[in-house]
Amino acid sequence: MTSDRKIKANRTNARASIGPQTRGGRARSAKNAFRHGLSLPVQSNQAHCKEVQTLARQIAGRHAGAHFEILARQIAEAQVDLRRIRYVRHQLLSEALAERYRYESRAVTRMKFKVIKQFLTPKLADVSLPAFIEKFLTTAQEGPAKFATILSIETKRLLSMDRYERRALSRRKFAIRAFDEVRRN
Amino acid sequence: MSKKLTSTAISQRSLFGPPPILEGEDAATYDELFGRVCAAVKPVDVIDEMLMADVVALEWEVLRWRRLKLSLIGEHALMALEGFVRENLDYDLYRKHFVDELTTVLQDNRAEDQMEDFAQTLARECARNEPDAVGKVNEFLAGIGLEMDDILHHGQARKAKELAQKYRRRQPGAVKLIDRLLARAGESIEAFVAEALTEELENVERIDRLTTIAESRRNASLREIDRRRGVLGETLRRRVQEIEAREIDVIEATPAKGKNAA
Repeated sequence: MTSDRKIKANRTNARASIGPQTRGGRARSAKNAFRHGLSLPVQSNQAHCKEVQTLARQIAGRHAGAHFEILARQIAEAQVDLRRIRYVRHQLLSEALAERYRYESRAVTRMKFKVIKQFLTPKLADVSLPAFIEKFLTTAQEGPAKFATILSIETKRLLSMDRYERRALSRRKFAIRAFDEVRRN
Repeated sequence: MSKKLTSTAISQRSLFGPPPILEGEDAATYDELFGRVCAAVKPVDVIDEMLMADVVALEWEVLRWRRLKLSLIGEHALMALEGFVRENLDYDLYRKHFVDELTTVLQDNRAEDQMEDFAQTLARECARNEPDAVGKVNEFLAGIGLEMDDILHHGQARKAKELAQKYRRRQPGAVKLIDRLLARAGESIEAFVAEALTEELENVERIDRLTTIAESRRNASLREIDRRRGVLGETLRRRVQEIEAREIDVIEATPAKGKNAA
């Protein structure tokens, strides 16, 4: 049974836990749930808006008129979205490939732990690690095996990006078809 | 022509971002692929350029996944071969490696009053299986948490790795030796490739899925280019017909005036 004193202390502590206090802290915590920002519309970013405008103008070309402009804008929005998604995916893969130790297969990590455990016994405290064991412990997985491990670990994120890409591609396809249809007539 | 391609490439970069090149990939090869696709598609407007950039990026991705799958299987097969060589290597072939490994371990842990060549001499004697030396080494290794087998296995592994790498480069000596070992054990290199495929099946399936996605998207972009060519062709045909119709109207109207005048 919880004592009254403990309950009182818990309540006092809970009242004190009201999250970040400073403006910077609040700004940081506001971004806690931010993952890649791909669910945000293109219009939410000023730089992207400018890109959409430029591209829409190029797409519309000499075809003037509000209808053309709307359709060209739809294509441009989908295209900028697509570029944004691909950039995030590319960054994910590039950064993962540049990481040295994070992406290692479970089997290798387990083996390394086993070796370290063996050498952590007090009996072997003063023994210098044999060169080949040191090499094994400090060598990270590389090449195709590393890439395959990255794909395996990041499957969920890659799949979610793939869904965004599929939707953007579909939006762009229909926007292009509508634009071509109007241009034909 | 090349000048035209370069300007298209520049406009493509500014519109569609930098090329999707990952660590270890060659930017020049990507540019070459881009140039070839550009020469084949001959984009007529920005939309065509968009679709063409997609085709190039997706084709690059398809090539990346195919390459990854092959090298993954190849590397795993090589590791399996390495394991086989390690198991079947005669002691004489890796004795030198054993001596090197043992010398390093002895030297790293020798007492201050021991001579520098003590380690190498002891390792050589041990490799020749001289009982005194073997006893000394066993005692020494026990003190540092190792066993003779650890050193032996490591020497064996190093030699096996060297041989497998040479086999991959098709160096005649290594090829001959490994082929002999394979024949002696009734094994074949294909068996290792099959083993690698089984072991990597999950990764291979994942890569295959990515390849399929990229291929289908590339094909969809190509279909769109094709469809737009049709639309463009039809639009051009209509414009030509309209122009011709107007011309005919003018031609028909002109003699009629003349007739009336006559």
